[in-house]
Parts: sequence; C-alpha cells; structure tokens
Amino acid sequence: MKKQLLSLLVVLVLVLSLTSIAGAEAQKTYTIGIAQFAEHPSLDNCRIGFIEGLAEAGYVEGENVTYVVQNAQTDMGLAQQIAAQMAQECDLVCAIATPMAQAAFNACMDSGKPVIYTAVSDPVGSMLANAEGKSDKAITGSCDLLPVEAQLKMIRAILPEAKKIGILYTTSETNSESQLKLYQETAAAYDFEIVASGISTGADIPLALDTLLPQVDCMTNLTDNTVVSYLAVVLDKTNAASKPVFGSEIEQVKNGCLASEGVEYLSLGKETGALAAQVLEGTFAGDIAFVSSEGGDMCYNSEVAAQLNITIPEAEAARGVDVTKE
Amino acid sequence: MGIIIGIFEEGMIYAILALGVLITYRILDFPDLTVDSSFPLGAAVSAILTVNGMNPLLTLPIAALAGAVSGLVTGLIHVKCHVRDLLSGIITMTGLYSINLRIAGRANLPFFNMETLFDNGFTTSFPTFLQPYSKMIVVLIVLLLVKLLLDLFMKTKAGFLLRAVGDNQTVVTTLAKDSGLIKIEGLVIANALVALAGAVMAQKNRVFDISMGTGAIVFGLAAVIIGMNLFKNISFIKGTTAAIVGSIIYKACVAAALSMGLVPQDLKLITAVLFLLILVLGGVHKKKVKFRA
Repeated sequence: MKKQLLSLLVVLVLVLSLTSIAGAEAQKTYTIGIAQFAEHPSLDNCRIGFIEGLAEAGYVEGENVTYVVQNAQTDMGLAQQIAAQMAQECDLVCAIATPMAQAAFNACMDSGKPVIYTAVSDPVGSMLANAEGKSDKAITGSCDLLPVEAQLKMIRAILPEAKKIGILYTTSETNSESQLKLYQETAAAYDFEIVASGISTGADIPLALDTLLPQVDCMTNLTDNTVVSYLAVVLDKTNAASKPVFGSEIEQVKNGCLASEGVEYLSLGKETGALAAQVLEGTFAGDIAFVSSEGGDMCYNSEVAAQLNITIPEAEAARGVDVTKE
Repeated sequence: MGIIIGIFEEGMIYAILALGVLITYRILDFPDLTVDSSFPLGAAVSAILTVNGMNPLLTLPIAALAGAVSGLVTGLIHVKCHVRDLLSGIITMTGLYSINLRIAGRANLPFFNMETLFDNGFTTSFPTFLQPYSKMIVVLIVLLLVKLLLDLFMKTKAGFLLRAVGDNQTVVTTLAKDSGLIKIEGLVIANALVALAGAVMAQKNRVFDISMGTGAIVFGLAAVIIGMNLFKNISFIKGTTAAIVGSIIYKACVAAALSMGLVPQDLKLITAVLFLLILVLGGVHKKKVKFRA
C-alpha cells in the first residue's frame, strides 16, 4: 500500500514534468519563468512592466511566449525550489527582488539559462554583477536604487521646518541596508538627521513606530518589502500622530503616503523586459550591464496633504502628479 | 528529470534537519523551536568561513559545533533555569537572530564566485554522465554519514538513555542517571544536525540569508510526522529512515504543486491538501507498532 502510494507520487511528478517539457516543444515558443519573491504592488508592477516590455519587443504571451509565474510569498526555501524548477523548465528566468535573484542565479549557474533580475537595489553588493555592472555568467537586469537626493530635496521643499526623518527598515533585507546607508550619508547635505529603527518581522512594526514617531518630524519609506507590505499599519500609526510619510514609489502614494520621488516600477519592469528581449535574440546576458531606474517621477496625494494640513509648494505641485486626480 | 533531482537535493538536505527534529520532538518529546535559528546559524558560520577562504568541507563541523552550542543554551535554560520547553526554545531562537546577523555581518551574504562544497575539485572530477547528479551525490554522502552515525549512537548506552528520557523519565532516575543532562545532550545533538543542514543548504545556494530559517521547525515536524505515519506499520523501518523519506515527500509535494501550473496564491493550499492526502492514505491501518529509533 505504502509502496504503491510512493510510486504513484513519483509517477505523478514524472508525468507532470514530462508534459510541461513536451508542451514547450510542440508549440516552439519561449517559456519564460517569472519568479517573484513577495506580493506587493511595487513588485507586481515589475512583473506587469516586464511582460509589457517583452510584448513591445515582439514577444507576446500566447503567440510566441508562455509565462510560468510563481510567487515565493517571502519563503526562502520555496524561492530556492521555484528557482530550481524554473532553471530546468524555462528558457529564461526573470527574478523579482534580491533573494529571488540570488536563488535564480545560483540555480541557473549549472543549467546555463539566462537570468534577468529586477527590483534589486544593490546588484554589485548582492554579487549579481561585477564592479562594471556585467558578469561572466548569463545574468543581467535592472536596479531600483532610490533617487535619495531627489527625495530629500523634495522633503525639504514640502517641510521646510523638519529636522528628523524616521526610517523603518527590516534588518533581514540587504536592499534596505544599502538604501539606509545612502540616506545617512546624504541627509546632512539637506540639513536632516536620520533616525532609523530596525525590525525583524512585520509584527514588530506597531511597537517600533510607537518608539520612533515621537522622535521624528516625518517618515520616509525605503523599498523595504516588509514595511511596504505593512504600509496600512504604518499609515494607521502615523496618521494618528499627524506625521507625514513619504513613499518610495507611486503605489504607496496612492495608498496614503504624502508624496514620493521614487522608483517607477512599471517602467523599470518595461526596461527589464527590453533587456530580456535582447537576450532572447542572442546577446549573452553577462555582456549587458545592468540598468538603473531613472526615478524623478514626483507624485503627491492632495487628500492626504489636506488631512495633515500640509500645503504642497506650487513648484513641487507643478512638476508632480496628483494621484487623486487620475 | 531535473525536477526529480531537485526534489532529492532539497529533500535530503532538509532530511538532516528532520533527523535533528526527530531527536527532540519524537524521541525527547521536546518541541524545540531553537531550530528556526540554529538552521541559519549553521548557514551563517559556513558562509562567513567560506568567504574568508576556509575549505567548505571544514566549515561543516564548525557549523555543527555552533549549532551544538545553541542546543546547549536551550538545554541549560530549560533544565537549569526551569523554563518551560517551548519558551526556552523561543528564547534561544530570538537571541540567535541577532547573533546570526553579527556572525555573517549582514543579512544576506552571497559567495557566488567561491569554491563550495558542491563545486570543487572533487565534484568536477566526476565523469560527465554523473555531473547532473553531483550535488545529489554529495548530499547523499553527508546524509548517509549522519544517518549511520546517529543509528550507531542510538544503539549505545547513551542512546538508550536518550530514548528512555522521552518515554519514561522515572526509569532514568531509577537507573541513577540525571534525566536533565540527557535532555541537554539530546538538544545538543539535534541542533548540531540542524546547523549542519543549514551549512549544507548555504553551500548549495551559495548564499546565507537571515530569513532562511523561517518555518524550518514547521518543515521538520511535518517531515518527521509524515515519515513516521507512512511507516508506522512497517516495524523494520528505522525512525531515521522515516524522517528522511518524510522530508523528501514534503519537497515532492511542493514540487508537484508547483508543477501543476496553478495560480501562485494557491500553491500552499495545494501543498497542504497533498500532505493531508498522504497522512490519511498512510494511516489506513490502525495497528500500533512500537517506535524504533
């Protein structure tokens, strides 16, 4: 009975894997794996942008491309298994966020399949690229390093009196570590002081904010997966304390942050899709240097500004987009 | 075929962790949550030593030693400070998170361009037809070594005492042995194994990440229980074998769920249903057989 059951399971797995291989060959299309580390609007936009970018280059879903989409839901073990499976099944793997990119890079190192990463803040520090932005392995992608200078300049323009900016970050995310370092290095130039508070899980956020908020004049977000996923919790606390939160991209502003001068993930995803198209056309991925987000898309939320009794200066309002008027 | 190889690679590395959980949960009857942090502890130790140029193979015993110390801490907290079993594990797990960050120096430590346990002179010397299986072979060697040593240990006097503590503490006391010490000993061995699994995992993934231990204890418990349940009527199957098979089946379930090509959100639900199916189908016969370690 047990042996039968076991062999049944093995056969099931075999059949499933065989059918997926057979299916890919029969249609002569590219199978592209999209492995996403977590599920929140920024990363979702990366995925949507990536598919659009490839479609613009002539690789259209259902015509000559089949997508296999998986989400690791921030589970590292699952990320590894998804990567290993995609390294076998797919012609190209798009990995979204740093942990997923590292898993995919490692899994594809043996099979030689190209990896295109996106939403990685520090490709060099994560060892996905060398100092020139290239690699001797088949990997390239795009980097979502925050335009920190622009963001600080914008905060200074909106809050001329503010002195201390609070930053909440997850100690387990290297993305956040490198961004925080950048903020700490740049803040003095705009007469700000950064007060950082590290958390280890989303459940720590309410307590961390209770300690952090009395010390600061406003908050700014990194592209921290945990903090962004718990944005509602953050906004709940900050609104109660009447302190503004600056986002790291437009989706956060739509969800209640005051303003952001951040990464526009949809276009970052599109650029990433264009890179993937180049690789599908035969360029060795390692020869393409990774691209960085241009940023500079200022956006603000006038409803939130009204609630907090903050006036967005005309110069800022003129160059930005009001997300409530879309 | 690649998927099957992947299942065995992952399943057999996690099987080392499952062997650790087998000792604490099944033999000592001690729900040891230290595992969630001793797994990344082993990974952190192995990663930082590899980055600093140490032979990857040598990092394994050191990682296991670090894990043993974490088990010792949990044991001391439980036995000497009289803290409840669950809570003593939680205390060590919580503290180790910061220590792991300190050891690795950062939350995520990659070593992609270094020699690893799976990518060195030994594995590249395999004949070409064996190359796809090279990782699997290395894991198999480590796992078999661990399993055989553990099986041998269980046959010694110390091994018998370990089993006795979980079953009936009074017997141990009447033999004039300190049951507390034996519990500590079990925790030390278990967490050494868990850290070893973490080290091997870091070597395979070529990266240490602080969050890699999240859910490790859940995995270990599921693997042990699935394995024990499947083999509970077959008396000649050892507990260690059952835990290994349970671990591989766990990974096979995840792989099967992944292969079904469903919406990513449903993945965990499908995995859960597969577990349930295996447990229910595996538990058809009610005949009770004594556990063999």
